[in-house]
Amino acid sequence: MEAPAENFFTPVVPLDFVYNYRVGPYIERYLRGFKDKKILGSKCPGCGKVVVPARMYCGPCNRRMEELVEVSQEGSLENYTIGHVILEKGAIKPAKGPYMLGLINLDGTDSLLLGRVEGVSVAAAKPGLRVKAVWKEELDGDFKDLDHFEPV
Amino acid sequence: MNRKIAIAGYRMKAASDLVTTRERLTFELTRGLFDDLGIDRDHVGTTIFATNDFLDGRTISNVFLDPPAGVYMRDESKVEMDGLSALVYACMRILSGQYETALLVAFGLCGSQVSPYLHVEYTLNPTYDRQLGLLNELSAAGLQARSFLNKFGYSEDLLDEIAARNLRNAALNRDQARGIKDASAKDIKDSSYLYEPLRELHTYPATDGGCAVLLASETKAKELTDKPVWILGMGQSIESYYLGERNLYESRSTREASGRAYAMAGIDKPEAEVDFAEVSSLFAQQEPILTEALGLYGPGDAEKAYAGDNGIAGSLPVNPSGGPLGAHPICATGLFRLNEAIKQLRGEAGKNQVKKAEIGVVHGQDGVCAQQNTVVVLGI
Repeated sequence: MEAPAENFFTPVVPLDFVYNYRVGPYIERYLRGFKDKKILGSKCPGCGKVVVPARMYCGPCNRRMEELVEVSQEGSLENYTIGHVILEKGAIKPAKGPYMLGLINLDGTDSLLLGRVEGVSVAAAKPGLRVKAVWKEELDGDFKDLDHFEPV
Repeated sequence: MNRKIAIAGYRMKAASDLVTTRERLTFELTRGLFDDLGIDRDHVGTTIFATNDFLDGRTISNVFLDPPAGVYMRDESKVEMDGLSALVYACMRILSGQYETALLVAFGLCGSQVSPYLHVEYTLNPTYDRQLGLLNELSAAGLQARSFLNKFGYSEDLLDEIAARNLRNAALNRDQARGIKDASAKDIKDSSYLYEPLRELHTYPATDGGCAVLLASETKAKELTDKPVWILGMGQSIESYYLGERNLYESRSTREASGRAYAMAGIDKPEAEVDFAEVSSLFAQQEPILTEALGLYGPGDAEKAYAGDNGIAGSLPVNPSGGPLGAHPICATGLFRLNEAIKQLRGEAGKNQVKKAEIGVVHGQDGVCAQQNTVVVLGI
């Protein structure tokens, strides 16, 4: 059954088109909150848990989270990784320099928020390290407004 | 189960680049399997593909596969997930009483056709995670590795040991795409960091590969083979997409799935009753996370296990084949675990053969950091 080695013509076939997604009302309000330097979570009427970023449905309770609440801008670094590469359209490329990504438990929330972390060395990175949100200077109501987290 | 179901035969093939087409790979696998069993397409009751339209770059990508798979004008369907999910579907079709045999065909051509990392990138929430651009398959795996090491106080050396063991085992196995003969922990540590603590050699290789598997009812299986391998139990479970709502150092959904599979198989004490496991650990840390979730090793037992117990010659071997660090043909990987378990149960695993192989457990996963998991228990 083994086929002999052959060369096949290999055309490059790109896929290039645009999807127009709706982000939904909760992410819209979450991003609008950024303009006022506010971080919004949603609270489940069933289990009472608060998750950030705000989203509409609670998995364990199978209920709609009706209430949006402002949460603290400070919290603890629970998990982290140091990126040495970036992925660009599926290709691994070296990063300009090592950078830290962290999963942060903002005070009063029951989930972890992924963000860039600055000013923490690998040696100093420990679960429980206190960090705070740092905003961009000009706020656009965009994902990038919440720039990174740094030690309190 | 109200009917017994066996695996009658399989074909599998993997390489970093198979220099082939989807159609040709499908033909070689299915026609080869038919020839092994001395049958033709008339013996196949229903066919389930496990392929991925995104990776194939075309919608309903199975429409060109009916001639090579022998399903022209036949009963055919598809599962856009790991092949073990397709196996569960195929079993249900046999259990319905409508079919005596079911053919599974699964493949992924991410060695040559398209980057495997796009598969997870386009799984991500398009209106949040993809906008932020921080999360990808490798950064998620880096976070999972760190969470696991921190939780149990392990050093990064453990990840090197796990990867070295798998790549050594894979080098003994001709069905793997990548192996490193005599790989040492140092060889692994010499590879570059991707997302610290995760290094290049802690991760699966981009792989071309596929397989065909024939399932059959008890009567039919006994006609087709002298060495049927029986499906004793199966279970599935899915947990939250959001990494921030999961403990990444454990796999709760795998625990749920294995509980269902063991209950069906009548297994009360997996650590004593299961002889070996083949798990879809795509990154080094996932192997101990998954085997703990399967109830085979206790939480925090990993260092002890990798000192020998879970090796080929150990008391409860894990991935004696070398696992997905040797090959990860997306969509076929769970069935590769199944085929490796069949080799063990039939005593055909060669240098990878474990001492006792009467009951084996296999695992397949989908999603970021094993969000969705399937567990199947096999026996002879």
